[in-house]
Amino acid sequence: MAGYILKRLLSAVPVLLGISVIVFVIMALIPGDPATAILGSYATPENVEKLNRDLGLDRSLVHRYFIWLGNMLQGDFGRSFSLNRAVLDEVLERFNATLVLAGTSFVLCSLLGVAAGVVSAARQYGAADKVITFAVLLGISIPSFFLGMMMILMFAVNLRWFPVSGMWPIYGARDLGALISHLTLPALSLAVVATGVIARLSRAAMLEVLRQDFIRTARAKGVHERAVIWRHALRAAMVGIIPVLGLQAGFVLSGAVYIEMVFQWPGVGRMLVDAILKRDILLVQGGVVLVASCYVLFNIAVDVAQSLLDPRIRT
Amino acid sequence: MTFLEMTRRTMLAATAATALALGSGVALAQTPPGVLIVGQIAEPKALDPAAVTAVNDFRILMNVYDGLVRYKDGTLEVEPALATGWTISDDGTEYTFTLREGVSFHDGSVFDAEAVKFNFDRMLKEDHPYHNTGPFPLSFFFSAIEAVDVIDAQTVKFTLNAPYAPFLSNLAYPTGLIVSPAAVAEHGAEFGRNPSGTGAFKFAEWRSNEAVVVEANPDYWDGAPDLQAVVFRPITDANTRTAEMLAGGIDLMVEVPPVALSEFQGDAYTLHEQAGPHVWFLILNAKKGPFADKRVRQAANYAVNKQAIVNDVLEGTAAVAAGPTPPAFAWAYNEALEPYPYDPAKAKALIAEAGAEGAELTFYVTEGGSGMLDPVAMGTAIQADLQAVGLKVKIETYEWNTFLGKVNPGLEGKADMAEMAWMTNDPDTLPFLALRTGAWPDKGGFNSGYYSNPEVDQLLEAARASTNQAERAKLYQDMQVIVQEDAPWVFVANWKQNAVTSDRVENFTLQPSFFLLLDDVVKE
Repeated sequence: MAGYILKRLLSAVPVLLGISVIVFVIMALIPGDPATAILGSYATPENVEKLNRDLGLDRSLVHRYFIWLGNMLQGDFGRSFSLNRAVLDEVLERFNATLVLAGTSFVLCSLLGVAAGVVSAARQYGAADKVITFAVLLGISIPSFFLGMMMILMFAVNLRWFPVSGMWPIYGARDLGALISHLTLPALSLAVVATGVIARLSRAAMLEVLRQDFIRTARAKGVHERAVIWRHALRAAMVGIIPVLGLQAGFVLSGAVYIEMVFQWPGVGRMLVDAILKRDILLVQGGVVLVASCYVLFNIAVDVAQSLLDPRIRT
Repeated sequence: MTFLEMTRRTMLAATAATALALGSGVALAQTPPGVLIVGQIAEPKALDPAAVTAVNDFRILMNVYDGLVRYKDGTLEVEPALATGWTISDDGTEYTFTLREGVSFHDGSVFDAEAVKFNFDRMLKEDHPYHNTGPFPLSFFFSAIEAVDVIDAQTVKFTLNAPYAPFLSNLAYPTGLIVSPAAVAEHGAEFGRNPSGTGAFKFAEWRSNEAVVVEANPDYWDGAPDLQAVVFRPITDANTRTAEMLAGGIDLMVEVPPVALSEFQGDAYTLHEQAGPHVWFLILNAKKGPFADKRVRQAANYAVNKQAIVNDVLEGTAAVAAGPTPPAFAWAYNEALEPYPYDPAKAKALIAEAGAEGAELTFYVTEGGSGMLDPVAMGTAIQADLQAVGLKVKIETYEWNTFLGKVNPGLEGKADMAEMAWMTNDPDTLPFLALRTGAWPDKGGFNSGYYSNPEVDQLLEAARASTNQAERAKLYQDMQVIVQEDAPWVFVANWKQNAVTSDRVENFTLQPSFFLLLDDVVKE
């Protein structure tokens, strides 16, 4: 097992190097340079040249890449010029916020999605199945940012049950209650689409398992139907469901970008959007590399979890 | 453990959590008295006035710092602030300021002539020990300064390399705000997050991506503010900002999107409007293509229905522009100037006269950017107006920074027209950088449409060098008449900045400078 994990981790190294090259090249290729973005109306060629020199952007691309990579390997991600702050401090702080949001959303959509899928499969073509299938279709069809805006209108502006935006109250205690009240709307709107996808695929996976012989055997032996479904069938179906969860985790993480914009959540997605618009090269590069590393690690974790359930995968 | 148990337990926890959230949610939505919560459009970059360029950051800075001079309330005319008076030498190259006595920075250090010298040397001298706390992108506002000399503790003399009339106005701009040398020495590159000035409010706290908090300065030389504190919240999304205002999460909101104005009609809100030094125009390529002919440029000015754009696209948040100088510069604006009327028949006639019927034009439009208002909708309306008089217009849309990268180097060989907007603090900068022959892109300016008229060049040079305001006004008024006739641009709109305050806020007014001044604001 340890060998398998080590092998997977080693294989991540070229992936991450590749990501660093790609994000670096993209930031170098997109039109519009940071100096123009900073100077705005005053971006005369002369001013741009001077500022580029001050920002260290007058060196060759290759030179800049290796300086960046070298510094990064030593834990120095550089300084964001648009925030005037160390990139690593900013990204870690923002990533925390994203993890709280995406993590909550992921737990929500996994539990609700799998549960809905299982209930749906167990009562195939029954009333519960029809209701759930319809709800799932609705959920999949609503863009999360639109749902978010509607939730703000309904629950924050009209009913005033929840705050409109942000992660913490501007004044007052920063306790769990405050966090939950700020988290509820964004986490729910982010979870809805993923819940739908997970429910659909869980239903399919369960239906397939429920047709198999060992289920019939279990039922014939008089095992309680609830135990058949939730203990025997679900465990077997999880082999098919876990990779879906892994994919949806990536989806939730990327979907967080929109939700963070709508709810002004101080997460890494909103940070990246702002940074790209301002051409804050180091912040974009550092942010993407860190998020990508996280995503790669998570995928490895999913593979490992799957191999624990089904040892045949481990080859 | 089975899945069912886990789900049940989690569902229970989730239900409890939601109940908890609902419980605490009821107490939301009232902001505390004496604390003004301002909905800003973005996270500030830094609170070091020499290092920033965005209006968004200026809105905070103007309340924390003072300059030697400032704009008189409700105007763009300069009055004393940290300097109590000044004299200008006859040749216009020496400015001697007398400084206010007994003023201290928030960190306790004394404001004096040495502090003034420190500020400008830090920005301008590459060998200054704190020049590395930059970069200082707008330091060229003061590039005319040759030396800053301390005469005595309360007197400081600026020597310029040539007469430069906008100097005083530039001192009133945020780039000229005075920072505490002691605080710069203490915090170095981190000064931008640990600011110290002499202003009405002193910096208290910066929680990244959440809020910048400033507290009243009880010792403010111009009278302590009534508010206890101001909280600036960055809310980048305009819809979310509107929702926060409606939900009572903020007391003051800047840059209300035109479509949201109707939400704030009731008694619970006050809508503020103020025309500012802004002009929205189309740059026309006067060097190559159909617009090289003055008649076609004039035709474009007649063809575009500016009133409809201002009323329907911008919902009345702008006024029709008549020429290159915004009316907010009251002293330099030519009141006799009338906007080009909407007259498609005349436009058609002029186009026919120039033989440009059916000419194909490439039109650069941006998706959004500083001062650009609603550029896609405006661009589409303009396209339709020009099509209606027989010009074939093809729109190319670009993201703002990409757009600037295409427009600033000049339109030649790429496009015939491009959207553009400017906000400046004096009537000098825009025409000097965008209408002079010496400001063609290859010479380092923003005259991307290659307009050239020697007479205009002369007027602009003279107006910039003169220190006599009446004479400057005359020169600029003459320039506006010629430029309007030559039509190097289609003059479209002057933006009215807006803001909404809740009914708990009093004494708030917007300034034509577009700065947000909060020292007189009261909140119950």
